[in-house]
Amino acid sequence: MIACIEIALKQSLRDAQASSLIKKAASYFGIHIQSARSIHMLTIESDLGTADLEQVRQKIFTNPVTQVSSMSPLEIDFHWCIWIGFRPGVKDNPGATAMEAIEDLLGRSFKSGEGIYTSRRYCLTGENLTRSQVETLARELLSNPIIQQFKIFSSADWDPEKGADVKPARVILDHTPCFDFIDIDSDQTLAAISDQRNLALNIRDIPIIRQYFLDQEVVAQRKKMGLSKPTDVELEYISQARSDHCNHNTFNGIFRYKNILTGEQAVEQSLFKTYIQEPTLALKEKKDWVVSVLWDNAGVGEFDEENNYVITGETHNSPSNMEAYGGAITGIVGVYRDPMGTGLGSKLFMGSFGFCVGDINYDGPLKPPLHPRRLLDGVIEGVRDGGNKSGVPTTFGQTLFDPGYMGKSLVFVTALGIMPKQVAGQPSHEKKTSPGDLIIMSGGRVGKDGIHGVTASSESYSENTPAGHVQIGDPYTQKKMHDFLLECRDEGLIRFITDNGGGGLSSSIGESAMISNGCVVHLDQVPLKYEGLDMWEIWVSESQERMTIAIDPADLDRFMTKSADHGVESTVIGEYTDSGKLHITYQGKTCAYVDMDLLDKGFPAWEFDAVWLPPETRGLFEPVIRRPADFNSLMTAMLERPNICSKEWIIRQYDHEVQGGSVIKPLVGVNRNIPSDASVTRPVLTGKRGLAFSQTLLPWYSKIDAYHMMTCTIDEAVRRLIAVGGCFDHIGGVDNFCWPDIGYHPRTNPDGRFKAAQLVRACRALKDACMAYEIPLLSGKDSMYVDGHLEGAFGERIKVSALETVQFSATSVVDDVTRCQTLDPKAAGDFVYVAGITGNELGASEYYDLFCKTGRNVPQVNFAANKILYKTVEKTVRMEMPASCHAVARGGLGVHLALMAMAGNLGMEIDLTQVPAAPGDLSDEILLFSESAGRFIMTIPPDHKAVFDKLCKGLAVCCVGQVTDIHDRLKITGTRGKLIVDLSCFALEQAFNKPFGEMI
Amino acid sequence: MRQVNALILTGFGLNCDHETALAFELAGARPHRVHINALVAGKIDLADFHILAFGGGFSWGDDHGAGVIQAVKLKNHIGGDLLSFVDQGKLIIGICNGFQALVNLGLLPGLNQDYTRRSVAITYNDCGNFRDQWVHLTAASDSPCVFTKGIGTADFPVRHGEGKFIADPDVVAALKAGHQVVFQYADEKGIPANGAFPFNPNGSIQDIAGICDPTGKIFGLMPHPEAYNHVTNHPDWTRKKQLQKRLKKPFATQDTPGIQLFGNGVNYIRERFF
Repeated sequence: MIACIEIALKQSLRDAQASSLIKKAASYFGIHIQSARSIHMLTIESDLGTADLEQVRQKIFTNPVTQVSSMSPLEIDFHWCIWIGFRPGVKDNPGATAMEAIEDLLGRSFKSGEGIYTSRRYCLTGENLTRSQVETLARELLSNPIIQQFKIFSSADWDPEKGADVKPARVILDHTPCFDFIDIDSDQTLAAISDQRNLALNIRDIPIIRQYFLDQEVVAQRKKMGLSKPTDVELEYISQARSDHCNHNTFNGIFRYKNILTGEQAVEQSLFKTYIQEPTLALKEKKDWVVSVLWDNAGVGEFDEENNYVITGETHNSPSNMEAYGGAITGIVGVYRDPMGTGLGSKLFMGSFGFCVGDINYDGPLKPPLHPRRLLDGVIEGVRDGGNKSGVPTTFGQTLFDPGYMGKSLVFVTALGIMPKQVAGQPSHEKKTSPGDLIIMSGGRVGKDGIHGVTASSESYSENTPAGHVQIGDPYTQKKMHDFLLECRDEGLIRFITDNGGGGLSSSIGESAMISNGCVVHLDQVPLKYEGLDMWEIWVSESQERMTIAIDPADLDRFMTKSADHGVESTVIGEYTDSGKLHITYQGKTCAYVDMDLLDKGFPAWEFDAVWLPPETRGLFEPVIRRPADFNSLMTAMLERPNICSKEWIIRQYDHEVQGGSVIKPLVGVNRNIPSDASVTRPVLTGKRGLAFSQTLLPWYSKIDAYHMMTCTIDEAVRRLIAVGGCFDHIGGVDNFCWPDIGYHPRTNPDGRFKAAQLVRACRALKDACMAYEIPLLSGKDSMYVDGHLEGAFGERIKVSALETVQFSATSVVDDVTRCQTLDPKAAGDFVYVAGITGNELGASEYYDLFCKTGRNVPQVNFAANKILYKTVEKTVRMEMPASCHAVARGGLGVHLALMAMAGNLGMEIDLTQVPAAPGDLSDEILLFSESAGRFIMTIPPDHKAVFDKLCKGLAVCCVGQVTDIHDRLKITGTRGKLIVDLSCFALEQAFNKPFGEMI
Repeated sequence: MRQVNALILTGFGLNCDHETALAFELAGARPHRVHINALVAGKIDLADFHILAFGGGFSWGDDHGAGVIQAVKLKNHIGGDLLSFVDQGKLIIGICNGFQALVNLGLLPGLNQDYTRRSVAITYNDCGNFRDQWVHLTAASDSPCVFTKGIGTADFPVRHGEGKFIADPDVVAALKAGHQVVFQYADEKGIPANGAFPFNPNGSIQDIAGICDPTGKIFGLMPHPEAYNHVTNHPDWTRKKQLQKRLKKPFATQDTPGIQLFGNGVNYIRERFF
């Protein structure tokens, strides 16, 4: 029987969802709705009787104080009604919790084929609303065809008895699971099949694959198992393992690099080995605090005597571009499984985000899959729900805008965990699988979702990209699993653990079985969301919230009891062996039988031509901009820039202090609205140590040279840590590369060689910076193909590529959190200091961008000088000398002095002639807006001035002015001795809040 | 000395259990993090504890109303145990999601000693979004609430999407008459916000941030006292420290108002039960 419960807030109450719809309809589309109400609907397919249904309606689904509900359509007037429901197979989290609640209340289980499906309808009133307007709202605001369906009813269409007439969104596959044999007669045949089946096999891999399956010995061994030609399960396994996402073919590829100007030529054998692995291993030797790097799901560093911390960063770009909310929530919940699967498992203690999107006010002809405005709304909400519901504080986050991200936007998510160094007498960062260990899958069930996600993210977006890989993460299921697994860890039940992410079981078991050297997996044992999945689908499905765990068979009962106690589903699905074979069966029949070392059979490295065109060969010059006359307006214009202005509305949607360890918050200052340099968190509440964390994104400099983009990005991340009290001797890094396609093709990617050279240069810079500052790379990921082919006005498709982007995350450990510092000046009379040299480096700056110019003088990092300066600044902060300390970042001294004035709500009087500057007469606009690296602004109390001056002797550190409470204005005197900026804190705040201040 | 035993619920998406346990420990109690299923299955007996804490988090993902499914499950399985816990005069505190669960259980507001009736609700913030911010609170000095004894004002963070307290006017009048409105959102001077955002972050009527039952032994609040367990939790701490320094005063690192609040509960148990 199908029943439907409709629930609405009482009319007298404010309906926040409906209000949001009214507001967005007006501001995004100019569509005016008079009033609206939202109705939640539960479609229940079961044999529950009327009395039971009535009981659950009243006891669970209706709050007597706030809600009205009915088993028949609620009588709510409207001119138009929009119904939105999930498509079959899309993860319906509230549907699942509703079933759980009903099962608990009634003490019965839902049977196969029974289920609960949630949906929603909106009743809109508005005399002048038209069907096409309502359709626009349904399509462009309320639903996404990839995961949802909608129906529209006018008041005339509406049947008050039938209502929205919702059918259960049950998946019916009506398919008998099977596996296929694949023809490998010739390379061409296999290539064609790869195309048809979306296997995304690399054309160069195909001969190796054929060679393996045609090998006499292999043929003989397979014959014993009843196999001849390769099965689809086997080819899917190879495809997943060889995908760029899993295998990092780009970073392990061969680059033939050539500098067109100097003629310099070099062959890079592996960017990963040369620029990431080697320096990190060298630094690991030097740094005792580095515990485990380069092999596990995340890197491990020492936090204190008893605990290690764990960090990794990911992107979830492709799915977020098609379904922003689903992609983003899956991204954050997914990255949170990495620390859970690092070593024997760590407890999550913080996360962060980075969003790079197009212009949210874009109104040109290009049609991205989702408008940047809608996309940003969706990713904000997705990471919010995923992070908050995981009970993990989101202590840091940045949002930036650039037209290039309309082709593909970027969603960076980072996760940190903490674990005791020893668990049950074992080092927690070590783990292995051994023959005889049971393979257990815990957490969610397997469905069709996520199939071919890995291979899709290894291609750029086109109209043919399969949308079926978009999922909706389920933080509730994962949080239960997180709590359960930590208990198992502490009791020593876990021998090996890893998460199921890209590639599903194929990757998690395929990789973990390398350690024991073999496995047998029984795919028929894998719990499914619905029947009818083929074997290869079960094997590669990326259904979320699953971990793969190895346990000793003797511990099985204890493990399963705990699992049940926590309401977590766990299933034995196989066994690790030392047979040397990956052996997969289904109902006793072998469907895959390949050698564990198959992937070492000489698959060829990818190859790239990289041609570097230095900026001077690309027609880049400094723009000619004469001295501005009105610096006050210039300053406020800079503060209003989307990449500078306040994004408080985003930050506040994230719980940044759950777990109780918040020390330095993402927003600081008197009005708590200025973005902090870094966050500091106490992951161990009984101690006084803190973990400082910063992130930097400076993709604009790639317009000139990705080498300097990389060095500046790392330099800023380091300075941010030092500013809050971080320790220069302990800095860990995480590199997240997002790069446009670097494979040259004369027609489809004519600048591929240049982008490849940019990548080589960025990697060289990564090593240079990491060696100079002694930063081991604790973790890192790459996401290539950040391009989109967007439809334009005439049906043409234009390729839009993102800037070559790296998000660099940095960690440090603070011995005593009570010595941390924030950026807000705290008292009048303090002296304002600038540390570090300002040069003529406006290239690709925010200032030039204001005038749509690029220039050529990109900031360059002087590592040697900075190192001395940073150690000195660190020392003064440790001695508690500065009353505030701030790293100068995007926008230069002008913008960052303004941020400090606002943060302190105090006046500041600054003399630009005192700013430490490079030789040559620098103009006021250069001094104010140059983005030279290596700089801080600090305020020093009068009683510390003498000692501070002495400590900084010989360094580029100068007193440039004073903090005052005689007025609350930022007053800057220019090089000609005249007051050029004179703005009140209020005026600065007005500008800073102008673009997004209305948003809450 | 006998131990004050505090039970902190865990599981099903609850997430503030570790810091709530720490806060109780700093306040002198012995904290026990207990999975809801352990109570439901009878593996742990509520009667062995003096204080029951419903902590923050997203039980059952907040689906179908924050704290709703938690309340239904507990009422269904251990409703009787909860009522006898109350009858014994023991203490219950509900924070954020826990407060939402208490009002859905009917343990709050407990008007006319009816601890099963839902007469108030906590619903979606007026601003329409989840919001994390620190708030100023002013405590009613004439409230019977055990936990806020001696606390005049306090700053704690709120972190919720559903924190707007609502009730019918007669219920609100009864709450006020019984001095059950414990905490109100206030401005920096401690004067009730009178609905002004962001001092009142969610649109709660009468700026209500926390209420107790008529006896003062059951207390629910949206702000998180356990998140102010250390002096460096407060958003102004670096400024306060700097200004203290100028006055040549040490930067106090003694108990925060958050720990004081838990300490009041612990002391009450010591006085009444030992």
